[in-house]
Amino acid sequence: MAETAAPEIVPGIVQETEDQPKSGLEPGYLVICWNDPVNYMHYVTHVFQIVFGWPRKKAEFHMLQVHEQGKSVLTRESMEKAEHYVHQLQKYSLHATMERDE
Amino acid sequence: MKLIRTSKTRLFFQLSEREKRLLLQVLQLYPRVPSAHQPLSKSGRLPDQAENQRLLDEALAEQRAENRKQLQALLANPGRFQQAEAGWHLQLSRSEVEWVLQVLNDVRVGSWVILGSPEGKLEGLDARTAPHFWAMEMAGYFQMQLLEAVEGEK
Repeated sequence: MAETAAPEIVPGIVQETEDQPKSGLEPGYLVICWNDPVNYMHYVTHVFQIVFGWPRKKAEFHMLQVHEQGKSVLTRESMEKAEHYVHQLQKYSLHATMERDE
Repeated sequence: MKLIRTSKTRLFFQLSEREKRLLLQVLQLYPRVPSAHQPLSKSGRLPDQAENQRLLDEALAEQRAENRKQLQALLANPGRFQQAEAGWHLQLSRSEVEWVLQVLNDVRVGSWVILGSPEGKLEGLDARTAPHFWAMEMAGYFQMQLLEAVEGEK
């Protein structure tokens, strides 16, 4: 078995940690669906099932959250994946956005 | 409009003469949602937000163009609707059902936007608003028929 090299730390360089996502690959983005009075509840449930591959129960749970609380956080993803999901949801004319998870 | 039969790949619907006419009228209204209507983010706190918004708008515009092409092919295909004893038979593949749902919801949401995105019940229809209200309701009717068919199967 090959040995794992110890990480090299260069003296004199301070490593800063950021509280924001460092790159688009980190799952720091929320995909949110917002309530509107025009999309049918059945339709929203159907779209969640198609876009996320969720079982009906989970899709209904999020649909009801949108309906009753005004919005639902559907997933937390990397920037690219979140963009992909927003595109898919907007393709079906749902009111969906992505927001930084802060 | 009701589901009469399914196969592995297709769904077969029966429509009355009037339903066929109404469905075609509604589909011809596509697209209705204004382009660049949806923001990518509400907070506006994404990196490269303007560029990413532009890419999203472009992707949605491409999608609309593709849907429109498919829709025109569907409307131009005389074999798509087959005359039957009591009206017409329409067959759609499962993927076509998905894009017809997108098309119908675009007509529904777009009509609602044209009506001023009312939060509650629309009051006081007039000659200007009635056609948009009609389109919104008709698109919703056909949408529900398709959804019931898809869900009934499950």
